[in-house]
Amino acid sequence: MLLTLLTRLARSLGVFLLVTIVTFSLMYSNGPGVARATLGLSATEEDVQRRMVELGLDRPLLIQYLDWLGGVFTGNLGNSFFTGEAVTSALANRVPVTLSLTIATVLITIVISVLAGVAAAYYGGWIDRVVQFFASIGAAVPPFIVAVILVFAFAVSTPLFPATGYVRPAESVTGWLTSITLPVIALLVGSIAGGAAQIRGAVLDALSRDFVRTLRARGLSERAVVLRHVLRTASGPGLIAFGLIMIGLLGGALFVELVFALPGIGQLAVLSATAGDVPMVMGGVLSIIVIVLVVNFLADFSNALLNPKARAR
Amino acid sequence: MRTTMRRTLAVLAVPAAAAIALAGCTAGGTENNNGSGDSSTLSLGMTADLTGGWDVVDQPPYQGWGVEAVYDNLVRCMPGGGLEPAAAESFEISDDRRSFTAVLRDGMEYSDGSAVDAASVQASFEVIKETASDRYGDITFDVPDEKTITITWPDPQPLMELRVCLPWIASTEYLASENRAAAPVGSGPYTLDQGASTSGSIYSLVKNPDFWNADAYPYERLELRVLADETASLNALKTGQIDGTIITAGSYEEAENAGLNISSSGTGLTMLHLTDRLGEKIPALGNVDVRRAMNMVLDKQSIVDSLYDGHAEPIWQPFQKGHEAYIEDLEEPYPYDVEKAKQLMADAGFEDGFTFTVPTMEGQAWTVMLPYVKQQLAELNITVEETALSGPDAIAELLSGDYPVPLWTVGGISSLEDASIHILPTGFWNVSHQSDPTVEALWQQILTADDEQRVELQQELNQYVIDQAWFVPILSPDNLYASGDGVTVDEISDPFGLHPRLIDFK
Repeated sequence: MLLTLLTRLARSLGVFLLVTIVTFSLMYSNGPGVARATLGLSATEEDVQRRMVELGLDRPLLIQYLDWLGGVFTGNLGNSFFTGEAVTSALANRVPVTLSLTIATVLITIVISVLAGVAAAYYGGWIDRVVQFFASIGAAVPPFIVAVILVFAFAVSTPLFPATGYVRPAESVTGWLTSITLPVIALLVGSIAGGAAQIRGAVLDALSRDFVRTLRARGLSERAVVLRHVLRTASGPGLIAFGLIMIGLLGGALFVELVFALPGIGQLAVLSATAGDVPMVMGGVLSIIVIVLVVNFLADFSNALLNPKARAR
Repeated sequence: MRTTMRRTLAVLAVPAAAAIALAGCTAGGTENNNGSGDSSTLSLGMTADLTGGWDVVDQPPYQGWGVEAVYDNLVRCMPGGGLEPAAAESFEISDDRRSFTAVLRDGMEYSDGSAVDAASVQASFEVIKETASDRYGDITFDVPDEKTITITWPDPQPLMELRVCLPWIASTEYLASENRAAAPVGSGPYTLDQGASTSGSIYSLVKNPDFWNADAYPYERLELRVLADETASLNALKTGQIDGTIITAGSYEEAENAGLNISSSGTGLTMLHLTDRLGEKIPALGNVDVRRAMNMVLDKQSIVDSLYDGHAEPIWQPFQKGHEAYIEDLEEPYPYDVEKAKQLMADAGFEDGFTFTVPTMEGQAWTVMLPYVKQQLAELNITVEETALSGPDAIAELLSGDYPVPLWTVGGISSLEDASIHILPTGFWNVSHQSDPTVEALWQQILTADDEQRVELQQELNQYVIDQAWFVPILSPDNLYASGDGVTVDEISDPFGLHPRLIDFK
């Protein structure tokens, strides 16, 4: 188990270094361009050169990367080239917003898609057709379209929820709940569709195995067969699927954050990338990489915990 | 079974615990979900974050409500020209337009408690001197007493008003600090409530009762909310979360149907800039008949009617209406005539057309007309390709000269500024930086002319540029601003005419 853990950690570290090196090189390779972006249209060549020195962009790229990497471990990711705000401070404000959206969505997704997926696979018939129909619809509609419809229906036409904005739970728990309700529903449509389809497939696969027939022949109740054995067998693919859904939600959250004007990582990444605020972009990339690696690690670890066979891989 | 269930529950508990922990631990600024809510708070949407944070230096005028709130100017530029007092209660421009003398009001303080004096004004201009060396690089100062300052340029400054009205003033200590963008120290009508603000999302400000013109600002609190998506802005306005926001022509009908108040101001010139007038990169553009044909093939009125729903005005001159260079009684120089345009192309030997690339950037409203421009120029066998610029290299690429025919909306506070930016070879919008002896000679005369002669010479320059068809002026778009119930915007006093200033909200 320890070896499995160490292997997964080493793999994650490799992915982290690869992604950050490539992203950093792409973002910082044109120092004059970065400096000019911070100065605006009317900057002269001397202004650009002076700004490059101020921002440390005149140094070799490798030195700049190692400096940034050192900052990752000391908690100093530099300041925004435009607003001067510390990147770590911006991330501390924004990561919880995105995570509260995605984690709430994943938790609800797990509950609903497990129920729907198991019911569809086990009972078949009209239940299966209904689940598959809604799964197809949900997978086809992008989250931002759902978001726009929800805002119109439940914020503008019928003012039940706020159209935009985010309330921190430290200020008001009910305010926080109402501010994330519509964004979470917008994300849920697609994620439940994907989750239910994955669970249905995994449960169908488990139900077709020989051991299920053997268990039934031994006289085990259907409840015990499904809950103790089929679900356990299906949990491996299910966990991987939910891990991927969580990662996919980070992409969906980007658009949903824009529609609901939520100050999350997605909004930060879009605005920073548009402006050319490279330290902020790197901060956004760093947080997304870390979230993706942690989710993958937890999915792998949970799978290994539930399924001894997975530990050997 | 029990072990499995316990493990499953444990797995589910991890993200649940994380969510609860996050919910409990999240701290920081306030996100007021209810917008203004009461009449003592003005809540405005911004389609982009503060461009330079709170740095006093080189703030763009577009959506500059944040800096306008926390900083003051020495003097203010008026719409249509001229200056009005601000921190300076009186001022004077020397006859030779080399010097500007200002006398400051008594009793003003910055938010750190230090006095607004001539030394801090000098320090503010010293910083500008470093960051905008092309316009302020050679200025010198004379400070005879703590309330009086004279700023002198070595050469006459036709754009003197603009030079002295744009810089914001701030405390000397703040100006010397390393991270000016993080928090402001100014003497404006509001001060930043940093604890209630979240950078990039919402900025909360409280009224400065000691501001010299505090009575003109009726709101006790000001909230600036970053709403990058126009749909989100409109929804926030419709539901009363904000009191006002910029909208585009495409949202006019929706805003009108929602019963919102809409004010408009027309500034800016959307034009194709045919900067390769010598034909160095695109030989066809070196021929004046080709440039004239490009002017004739665009049906501007049709673009205004169909794409802007009438919220724009067709233009024929590369200068703004009301500015000194604008020729009032000029007839349409190149009326829409596709057949004549084709004939001009044939006469010039370019009937087979040519290809150029138009660079685009995120957030430019004019991109709505690009498909139409492509279609119309195709009538002359001219192929318009499109390339999207983004990220840190975007501006550098845009101005590099690699794209000698940018389609862009430009327009400054005066025709002198516009000429210096997009006609002179040093202008950053003249991306090919090609010089022209006639323009050079006219500009030298403009620099030393008296007021009356300067107007005539600018109009002569305008006529020359029109005759040479250096631009394809298309339209001047309306800048639309939507506001909700309880907020009145009677006039837009922004000298650039982009949107209301804070003082315009009543």
